[in-house]
Parts: sequence; C-alpha cells; structure tokens
Amino acid sequence: MTAKAAKQDVEAVVAELARTPRSNRDLEQKLAGFKTIAEGLDYAARGLTGFNFYSAKGVLSHVLTFAELRSRALATARKLVSAGLKRGDRVAVIAETGPEFMAVFFGCQYAGLVPCPMPYTMYIGGRDAYVERVTGMLRAAAACAVVTSSDLEGHILAGAAGAGVETVLTHEALQALPESLVKLEAFGPDDVAYIQYSSGSTSEPKGVLITQKAIMANTQGILRDGLRVTKSDRAFSWLPLYHDMGLVGFCLAPMMGQVSVDYISTPSFARRPALWLRLMSENRSTVSYSPSFGYDLAARRINGEAVTLDLSNWRAAGIGGDMVRADVLKQFGDTLSVSGFDQNAFMPSYGMAESTLAVSFSDVSQPIRIDTIDKLTFKLSGRAVPALETQDKDAVRSFVVCGKPLPGHEMVVRDEMGSVLRDREIGHIFVKGPSLMSGYYHNVKATDAVIAADGFLATGDMGYLLDGEIVITGRAKDLILHNGRNIWPQDIEWAAEQVEPLKSGDVAAFAVEGDDGEDDVVVLVQCRVTTDAEIEKLRREVSAVVHHSAGVECAVVLVPPKSLPFTSSGKLSRAGAKQKYVSGGLIEITQRASQAAEFLAAAQ
Amino acid sequence: MTASPETIDQICKLLEPFNSTGKALTSDTEISADLNIDSVAVMDFVMEVEDHFDIEIPLNVVSETHSISDLAAVVDARVKKA
Repeated sequence: MTAKAAKQDVEAVVAELARTPRSNRDLEQKLAGFKTIAEGLDYAARGLTGFNFYSAKGVLSHVLTFAELRSRALATARKLVSAGLKRGDRVAVIAETGPEFMAVFFGCQYAGLVPCPMPYTMYIGGRDAYVERVTGMLRAAAACAVVTSSDLEGHILAGAAGAGVETVLTHEALQALPESLVKLEAFGPDDVAYIQYSSGSTSEPKGVLITQKAIMANTQGILRDGLRVTKSDRAFSWLPLYHDMGLVGFCLAPMMGQVSVDYISTPSFARRPALWLRLMSENRSTVSYSPSFGYDLAARRINGEAVTLDLSNWRAAGIGGDMVRADVLKQFGDTLSVSGFDQNAFMPSYGMAESTLAVSFSDVSQPIRIDTIDKLTFKLSGRAVPALETQDKDAVRSFVVCGKPLPGHEMVVRDEMGSVLRDREIGHIFVKGPSLMSGYYHNVKATDAVIAADGFLATGDMGYLLDGEIVITGRAKDLILHNGRNIWPQDIEWAAEQVEPLKSGDVAAFAVEGDDGEDDVVVLVQCRVTTDAEIEKLRREVSAVVHHSAGVECAVVLVPPKSLPFTSSGKLSRAGAKQKYVSGGLIEITQRASQAAEFLAAAQ
Repeated sequence: MTASPETIDQICKLLEPFNSTGKALTSDTEISADLNIDSVAVMDFVMEVEDHFDIEIPLNVVSETHSISDLAAVVDARVKKA
C-alpha cells in the first residue's frame, strides 16, 4: 500500500469514528430537571452529543451518541426481560468503562430493573480477594443476575456461586438473547434508580439505594449550581464507573445535561497517567475531576510533554474523593502552567455515595481558598484558629475550603453531645437534603446508624464551617484513605488473621498520617513465633495478604503477644493500639531485641 | 507452564526500578507481597512489561499472577500467540 493510500485509509477510519460534538446546535440545553434517568436519556437522544471511549494507547475506539445509547438500552432492556428478570430485580453489572456497561445500566432503567455497578479486579495476585468481594456485594444487593465481560466470567462465576446467584451472563450472551415483545415499563419518578456500592467493608458491604428523585436533585445541583455547565463544555473522565464520582459525576450528570464525555478506563490511567492530560488537550476538554493523588501522579509523569499540551480550556479541575491537598495542587499547577493550565480552575468539593455524590462545591469562578490554622489549638482544643503570619510552618496546618452545600441541602457541624457548633469549631459533619440515599439496601440497622429521625446523615467526617463553607479536617471513623479509595481496617485485619498461626484479635490495622499528609498504613501483629526465619516468614505472609486483599503497601510491625489493648467488652481497641504505637508504647520485637542487645553490650 | 530463563531475566530487569526493598529478585519473588509495591506502581510495571514484549495482559490474568515466574509464563504464552 502506498503512503498516500494508507493515509486515506486512516482518514476513512477517522471519518467513520468521529467523536461526538461538544454541543447540540439544534437542541436546547437542559441542565437536568427531568423526572427520571430514562426521561433524561430520551431527551439527550434527540441531539448529537454522547460518550467517546479511548483505548489504553489513547486511540478513539468506540463512539456512543446518546441516541445510540438509547436504542441499545431499549434493546438491552428487552433482552434482560427475556433473561427472566422481573421488575424491581437487582442486576449486578461489572462496570468496565465501555458501551457494554452503559447499555446494561440504562437498559435496566427502561426495564424497571435496579442496576448495581460492581468493580473489577486490578491487583496483581488479587483474584481470591476479588471473588470474595463479589460474593459479599451480590449478597448485599440480593442480586438476581450478574452481567460481566467474558474476561472476568471465571471470577464472577466463582463469586456468584458463593452468593447463590445462578444467572451469570456475559455481555455477548445477553446480547444474543431475543428481544422480549412485552411493553417496557421504565422506572417512574417515585421509583428507585440504582444501587451504589461504596460503603462498608468487604466482609460486610452495603449497597447505597439511590432513588430517581435523589439522582435528579443531585445531577441538577452538579450541572446548574456546582459546575454551571454551558454549551461550550466537554467533559473528560478516567474515574471508575462503579464509584459515585465516576458514575454520577461523569456519566449520569453529563447525560442529564447533554454534555459529551471522553473516557479512558481507570487501568489505562493508572498505566499512563499522562494520557489523561494529552487527551484533554486534544479534545479541548473543560471539565474533569480526580482525587488529589491523580493530580500528583499526572504531574510527576508528564515530564517534558507539558509544553506540547494546551490545557487552557480546562475551567473546572475538580478535586474530590480524598482530603484535598494544597501542596499537590500547587505542584500540578506549577508543572502544567506551561500548558496554559489556569490554577484558578481548581475546584475542591465534598461529597459521598450516601448523598448520591455531591454535597458542596467551591465557587467555580474563584481561586481555591486555603485556611491556615494554629496546629496546637487544632489538636488540643478542637478549634480552628487562624495562624499568625509570623508562625513557623511546623506550628501551622493548612486546609482547603470545600464550598457551600448545594441549594436545598443543609450542612451542620455538631459536637459529641449533638450540639450544633459555631464557625471554626471542629466537630462531626451532618448533611440533609433531597440527594440523600433512601438507605442501605435491606439493611435497616446500618441505615439507622447513619440517618437520624431528623433526616440528617452522619457523614463520618470531621471538620468545621467557615462563612457557610465546609472545611474537612479528618475522619471520625477508622476508615483508611489510600489513593482515593476507602479501605476498611477490618478487612486488613480479617485477611491477616487468616495467616498461620495468627488468631482473631492478633492484628490491628490503622493509618498514621505520613509527612506528606497521606495515610500510611500500619499493621500491628502479635507475634508468638521466635526464630528469625519464622518471624520473617510471618512478616512476609501478612504483607502478602494485605496486598492481595487491599492493594496497599503497609508497614507490618510485629509486637509481643498480649500487647494489643482491648476494650472493656473484649473487642480489639484499634484507637488504643494506634495511640500506644504512636506514643512509642509498642515497638517492633526485632527492634526491641536489638535495643536489648545494645543495652546489654553497654552494660558490660 | 514454565517460563524461559531469558524472559525471567528481562522481567527482573524491568522490575528492578520498582524494587525499593533491596531484596534480590528471583523467579520465586512474589511481586506485590515481597516487594511492598502499591497497586498503582504495579500497574505501571505491568505496562512496562506489555510495552517491552509488545503484548497485552488482561486484568483478569494480572489478578491470577503472583510470582515473577508466573508473570514470565504469561508473557511467554502471549508472545507465542502473537
């Protein structure tokens, strides 16, 4: 083939696979305000915008206009009915970033089925932990069927067997089913919409039940009040679609606003973080979100390429999903300023799956606001007192202000006794409003534990208010945050306790804040073995199971038997163990031995 | 499935920059467990392997791979297929 012919070939492919346009010239933009997800898609399908999927190498591989998505969803709805599913049944679907997942998620909306987007496995050696997680999730949603890619079928079959779920369909098998001719009944305005797994440990996952009303309220808040979306916007996302920020923020909300989205999958981003920025430059994207760690990773990987990029269209660079770190944002802004990136585009925000996604956004038109407070009063008296300019940097602590709650939503900070606190007093954060979940699916006990009779949701986060804006300072619960993921210490402990000869109560896992403000995971293990070889074997095995189950690096600290503190009711005191460790009351046994040896040597 | 010594050698070379423990890499080294590499760095390493051998390793296969020799066997099988 001649070079010219090859070029024409390429052009033909490009012409065939043209990404969707930025906006609809002939269709008025509506920023949500629909009654159901299906109604929102019916409207978006009248235009030309939609979803575009890029491969791991950054090549446009699938274009799915909202019109095509709607017709595929309607066909898929009929196939799901053919599979024997009945209105209200829960359909788990592995949320790999691609048209297949979208067809099932939206197909469920038209068939009156409740989709439950589930994660895939990304860890080396993580199969067994993943299978167990799948079982727990299917149980929590009492799922009637699972739809998966053929790649993961083996894993899912194993997980489904554990949960007693008999119907496991690959996308190919589902699409091969006939389209049932029944009259489809889409979900109505008073119905549920989907189940989001985002809360609870692996051993006891919880499904957040989101109603059509909640998703309507939240997407409207995101589009109209938070991001203030217009026809010149184009979104970009690498966030996982099984996570609220990916699903609500970058699939449902854009669809409700007829905004085109360009996607790479999360594994593609993890492998090539710079691809995020390169494709945003190519597409002149205006809106994208990431936890702080994503900005950190991309800034470190972009190297000399920054100068070739044009990020000047990026007007809303959202941060959510973890503690917003001012130092990371500054580093990213400095590195990417050569690409025309505007530091004022940073948009810290706060939210959680229990509130559909968004609770508060900082003002998109303003630069980020950093509150620097005195560290000592913060730690000792629970107040956020502004630091003096003359104070040493070790004596102060900086927090990023995360904005005001969405209209129609309330946010209060309360003390341990439940009294509402004033500005700059640190306490527990509570939120209320139309975006809240209706509860954890079939789990009244867990729901009652977080939503009180007054309708306020206990977020589990600590912080303070500042002129109506929220500042997050940390967590009340033991949750460990790592690269934007929630890790439950119970999961790490349970996994480690499976290692011989450990027993229940031998392990305490928690996070300590590292020098960079990130969580460092510490795993304390009561060690009854004595030889060096046995000690190192134990350390290695614990480290291995923690990796396989949580995908996180950790410091395994072996401590003497019976040294971990317990509560009066006989339960492991995680907070007590952490306190004892941080204060130096618990020391690694090999270190103790060497200290003892040094001591003896000195005494001789 | 056994892996060729050349592939094992090459994977050790690719893995060395991620190995902050100073432990010597052998075919029995468990990649995530022995080397304390976090999940993002593991993805990065897998990409290096894919690029070097010009193959693709799906995530479900990654999840069933523990040691360097496991990974080398996967690489050999995929290079042969391509």
